[in-house]
Amino acid sequence: MSARETIEGLESALSKGRRMRAVTALLTGSVGTAFVGALWLGEPGPLPGRTRLAFAVFTVCCVAWAGYGGWLVTRRVPLFAVDRVIAAWIGLAAAVATTAVLVAAAVQRGGGVGVALAVGGVFVAVALALAVRAHARRAALLRRVRELTGEDGG
Amino acid sequence: MTDELLVVRAQLGERAALAELVDRWRVPVWTYVRRMLDAERADDVAQEVWLAVVRGLPRLREPDRFAPWLFTIARRSVTDRLRGRYAREHEALAADRAIVEDPVEALVDRAELVGLLAELPVPEREILVLFYLEDLSIEDCARICQVPVGTVKSRLNRARRLSREHLERKGYRA
Repeated sequence: MSARETIEGLESALSKGRRMRAVTALLTGSVGTAFVGALWLGEPGPLPGRTRLAFAVFTVCCVAWAGYGGWLVTRRVPLFAVDRVIAAWIGLAAAVATTAVLVAAAVQRGGGVGVALAVGGVFVAVALALAVRAHARRAALLRRVRELTGEDGG
Repeated sequence: MTDELLVVRAQLGERAALAELVDRWRVPVWTYVRRMLDAERADDVAQEVWLAVVRGLPRLREPDRFAPWLFTIARRSVTDRLRGRYAREHEALAADRAIVEDPVEALVDRAELVGLLAELPVPEREILVLFYLEDLSIEDCARICQVPVGTVKSRLNRARRLSREHLERKGYRA
């Protein structure tokens, strides 16, 4: 097997579409979990059994998607430093947008603003932490490249 | 360019660095896999190794330890194939086929070192391949095979002794 064939065999694992699908699954699941969770927790009164069941089913579906996306991102689809930075910023944007929608929905319903802010806050904090980590990792790798090329040159 | 620099660049997302890394280590990986398994499965397993390497590369924390990490992955893939009754039967069948259907391959297999390696038990064979063919240190061999350094040394000694006996036997017969 030639070098070209070996690298061609890896193309599908390295494709942009695959990385996008993995990040999308993770984000969709996370946003859904935050959204459904906040709506459920923000309900003013006790809910009927069927409604609670529906909320629980939605939450489980979203958590499953988030878990699947997380597994793809960490184990199956290689996300290199640049990809992680981009994914982290997309995640942060999604977290901020979700928080805004949750708060707006809570204000419109006239209750549950605190819960919306708390859930959104956690979501934004996690996304922010991931973004900071991704930037730090990329910076460390770039620093190492400079050190190594400096050594190579001198 | 050093391996470490290539690895770090690949981790950053430079596709050219990744391609160069694959190109540089493709033959050593294939050689290791081929010496441990039959020719039929070597290409597939080598490709499987590279897929695992690409998936794990972003998480590699010690880029300067790339070679031991790479061979640890290769060893895991080879061990998976060698494990179980089916694998043993498949290997025996493949070896028979290689001799019957492909006389050139059979001749190659009878070349000194390859023939010698095929005679050795798997633990001794892999140490011999890693130490002599891949030029890895005893410490790296120990890390890859997840055994103490002393075990690597004793396996090397046993491999040398078995090889000597094998050669003497062949010489005696010739």
